[in-house]
Amino acid sequence: MRRHAGAIVLFGLAAVAPLATRDAYFLDTIVLILMWGAISSAWNVAGGYAGQVSLGHAAFFGIGAYSAAVLTVHWSLSPWIGLGLGMALSVVAGLVIGYLSNRLRGPYFVLATIAFAQVLLIAASRWREMTMGSEGIPVPFKQGFWTLGLASKVSWLYLTLAFALVLYLVQVYLEVSRMGYQLAGVREDEDAAQALGIPGRRLKVIAIAMSAALTSAGGTFWAQYVGFVDPFYVFSIDLSVLFALNAIIGGAGTALGPFLGSILITSLEHYLRATLSDIAPGLIGVHLIIYGCLLIVMVRFVPQGLIGALGALFIRRARTARGERLART
Amino acid sequence: MAALPQLVVSTLLLGGIYALIAVGLTLIFGIMRVVNFAHGEFLMLGMYLAFWAFALWHLDPYVVLVIALPVFFAVGLLSYWLVMQGVIKASHNVQIFTTVGLSIALQNAALVLWTGDYRFVRPWHASEVVRLGGAALNLSQIVAFAVAVAFTGGLMAFMKFTQAGRVMRATAEDREAATLMGIDTERVYRLAWTIGIVCVGVAGVLLSPVYTVYPQAGLQFVLLAYVVVVLGGLGDMRGALFGSLIVAAVETVGAYTLGIAWKEVLYFVLFILVLVFRPAGLFGQRGAETLGM
Amino acid sequence: MLALESVTKRFGGLTAVGGVSLDVDEGDLLGIIGPNGAGKTTLFNVIAGYYRPESGRVVFEGRDLTGHPPHEICRLGLTRTFQIVKPFGNLSVRDNVMIGALTRVRSVAAARAEADRGVERCGLGDYADVVAKSLPIGLRKRLELARALATRPRLLLLDEVMAGLNPAELAAMVELIRRVHAEGVTLVVIEHIMAAIMRLTRRIVVLHHGEKIAEGVPAQIARDPKVVDAYLGEEFTLE
Repeated sequence: MRRHAGAIVLFGLAAVAPLATRDAYFLDTIVLILMWGAISSAWNVAGGYAGQVSLGHAAFFGIGAYSAAVLTVHWSLSPWIGLGLGMALSVVAGLVIGYLSNRLRGPYFVLATIAFAQVLLIAASRWREMTMGSEGIPVPFKQGFWTLGLASKVSWLYLTLAFALVLYLVQVYLEVSRMGYQLAGVREDEDAAQALGIPGRRLKVIAIAMSAALTSAGGTFWAQYVGFVDPFYVFSIDLSVLFALNAIIGGAGTALGPFLGSILITSLEHYLRATLSDIAPGLIGVHLIIYGCLLIVMVRFVPQGLIGALGALFIRRARTARGERLART
Repeated sequence: MAALPQLVVSTLLLGGIYALIAVGLTLIFGIMRVVNFAHGEFLMLGMYLAFWAFALWHLDPYVVLVIALPVFFAVGLLSYWLVMQGVIKASHNVQIFTTVGLSIALQNAALVLWTGDYRFVRPWHASEVVRLGGAALNLSQIVAFAVAVAFTGGLMAFMKFTQAGRVMRATAEDREAATLMGIDTERVYRLAWTIGIVCVGVAGVLLSPVYTVYPQAGLQFVLLAYVVVVLGGLGDMRGALFGSLIVAAVETVGAYTLGIAWKEVLYFVLFILVLVFRPAGLFGQRGAETLGM
Repeated sequence: MLALESVTKRFGGLTAVGGVSLDVDEGDLLGIIGPNGAGKTTLFNVIAGYYRPESGRVVFEGRDLTGHPPHEICRLGLTRTFQIVKPFGNLSVRDNVMIGALTRVRSVAAARAEADRGVERCGLGDYADVVAKSLPIGLRKRLELARALATRPRLLLLDEVMAGLNPAELAAMVELIRRVHAEGVTLVVIEHIMAAIMRLTRRIVVLHHGEKIAEGVPAQIARDPKVVDAYLGEEFTLE
C-alpha cells in the first residue's frame, strides 16, 4: 500500500475538493488536471511502458472526440455509444500504428505517427458532410447522464476522477502483471525478450491498441466537457506533444508520473491563462517556453521525471528496479 | 496542357526552396543521426529576421541574406553548445524530446516576443511578375530559387571536394572508424549542425517575401521537409534534391487537380506509403529504418 | 535432439554458413569453435530463428523449426544467449531472471520465487536487487545465463559466455556450466577459450569460413592438422 500512497493522497484530495470549495474555476482546474493526466497515462501505456514513443496520439484523441459528437449531431445517439465507437475505431487505428512500430524504429516511427495524425486532421477539416469541416462541431448539451450532459462541475469532477482511477489502475497492472513484466523486457531489449520466449511484436501492438482506445475515451469525455470539437485542435501535434510531455516530466513508465506532470503543467497553464488574458495577453505563451526548456533539461538530467527526482530525495534506497522502472529515455 | 509550363516552373521553384530546407535537415541527420524536430523553428526565425530588418530598417531580404549567414552561424553554434552537445550520445528518445522541447521553446518565444499576428514582408520584387514561355513567375520566387540552388550546389560541392567535407562524410558513414582515425567527431557534429541551421535560416529569409510570417510558420515546412528527406533517404544529399522535386511536383499537380484543400493529404499519404514500403527512401540504405538509423 | 541438415545462410554475396550439418543428442555437451567470422554466431542465429536459412532445415525434437520466430523456438524448449550480453539494463537482476521465468510460469509470485532460486544457483544472490546495467561484465554474463535458464530450456545455446572473464570468474563459469549440464540440460557452446572448452566438452565441431571442417573428441581436434592450420596455430596440447 505504501507504493500507492502518492496516488491515494492525490486522488483523495481531488475527491474531497468539492467539499471544500464550489469555486467553478478551481473545480475546472481539477477536472482538467485529472483529464489530461488520464489521457497522458493512456499515452504512457504505449510510450512509457511499451517504449513506443508516439507523437501522434492526438489521432486517437480526435477520433474519440469526433465519434461522440458526430453520432449525437447526426443520429441523436448517446455519447456513450460514441465512446464505444471511438474506442473501436481507435483500436483499428492503433493496430495500424502497431504494425508500423514493428517495421520502423526510433525516429522513423515517431515521424510516421506525426504524419498519421496530420492526415486525420486534414481529413476531418475537409469532410464537411460528416464533421462539419473546418468549423468544427458544437457538441449539443442535453441534461442527463445517458447523454453525458452533466451540468455541474462536481459531477464532471467525479466522472473524470473515475476515469483517472481506471487509468491509474491500468498502469499499475502493467507494473505488476505478467504482461507488464514481459512488456518491460520488450521495452528494454526486444531481441533479448524474444530470445526468452516473449512475443515482442504482438505485445507492442496490444499495448499500442490499448493506449489508443483509452486515449480515445479521454477524447470523448473532453469533447463532452468542453462542448466543442475543433479539428485543428483535437488532431494537433501540440496536443500529441502535450500527452507525451506530461508523462515524461512526471515520469514516463510510472503510474503516477503523468498525473504529476499534469498537475504541474495544467495548473500553471490554467493559472497563467486566467490571470494574464486580461492584463498581458502577450505573455500567454510563457509557460510553454518554460515547458520546452524543462523538457530539454529533464530529458537529459532527470530522465526518470519528477517521480524519480522526488523518489531520490525522499526515499533513500539503493537503486532498485521499482524506483527506476523508467522508459528507455 | 496549357498549364504544363506553369506547373513545371512552379514545381522547380518550389522544389528549389524545399531542397534548401531539406538539405540542412538531411545533413544533420546523416552526420549526427539526430532527427531535428526544431528545424522549422529556425526557418521561422529566418523569416522573422527578414521581417524585422525590413520593418525597422527597410532592408531588402536579399541584403539581409548576407547578414543571415553569420547570424545563423552564431545561432547554430549557440544552440549546439546549449542544447545538442549534451545529447549526441544519448538514446533516440532523449534526442527526439530534446529537439521537441527546443521546438516548443522557440515557437513560443516567438509568440511571446512578437505576438501571433501574421506579418508580411513586401519588398518591391514581391509583386513583380516575370513571364517565361507560358508561365508567370513571381520575381521573389525566382531569386529564392536561384539562391537556394546556388547554396545547395555549393554545399554539395563542399561535401564532395573539400577536406572538411570528406571528413564529415567519413563520420557519417562510420562514427567509430572516424574516431579511430583521429577525426574529432565533436567538431564534425558541431559543424554539421551549424551548417544545417545556416541553410534553413537562409531559406527562411528567402521565403519571407513569399509566405506569411508567424510563429508556427515553421511547422508546415518542417513536416514537408521530413517527407522530402525520408523520400530521398535520410542523410543523402542527392536524395534531398530529388525528394524535393518529387514532393514539389506532387504538391503542384495536387493543388492543380484536387485543389489546395487536399494537396496536403497527398504528400502525407505519400509519406506514409514511403515509410511502409521503402522507408529507407530512394537513396538511403536499405534496412536503415529498422535499426533506427 | 537437434539436427541441422545442410544449413546455408547467405548475406548478399557472402556465404556465412555453407551447408553445415550437425547432430546433437540429448545430454550432449557440444562445443563449437573456429576463427572469427567462421559463422558460429550466424549458425546460432539460424537455429534460434533470427535468420531464415537459404536452404537446409533445423529439426528440434522431431519438429522442423526452420523459419519459426525466436519466441516460439524458446517456448519449444530451445533457448540461446547472446555473445554481446543483452541485459534488461534498467531492471534488477531478479526482475531480469523473473522475466525469463514468466515464459514458463504464469503467476508473477511463482515466477519471482523461481527467479530467486535461479539467482542463487548462479551465484548472483548478493545482487538480486541491483540494477542490471551497473553490473560488471563477469556478473552480466552470469545474469545472461541465469535468465536463459529460467526459461527451463531442454537445449541451451551459449554464445561465448566466457569471453571477458578473469581466471576466477572463468573457473566459476565452467563449474556452473558443468552443473547445468548435470541437471539435464543439453548444451551447445561457442567458445574461443581453448583451455576451457577442451576440458568442458565431450565433442567439438570446428567451423571455418562457414563450413564444418572437423568434428570429434577434444583430443582428436587438438591434433587435427586442418584445425591446427585454420585456428589453433601450433599444436595445441591438452593437459
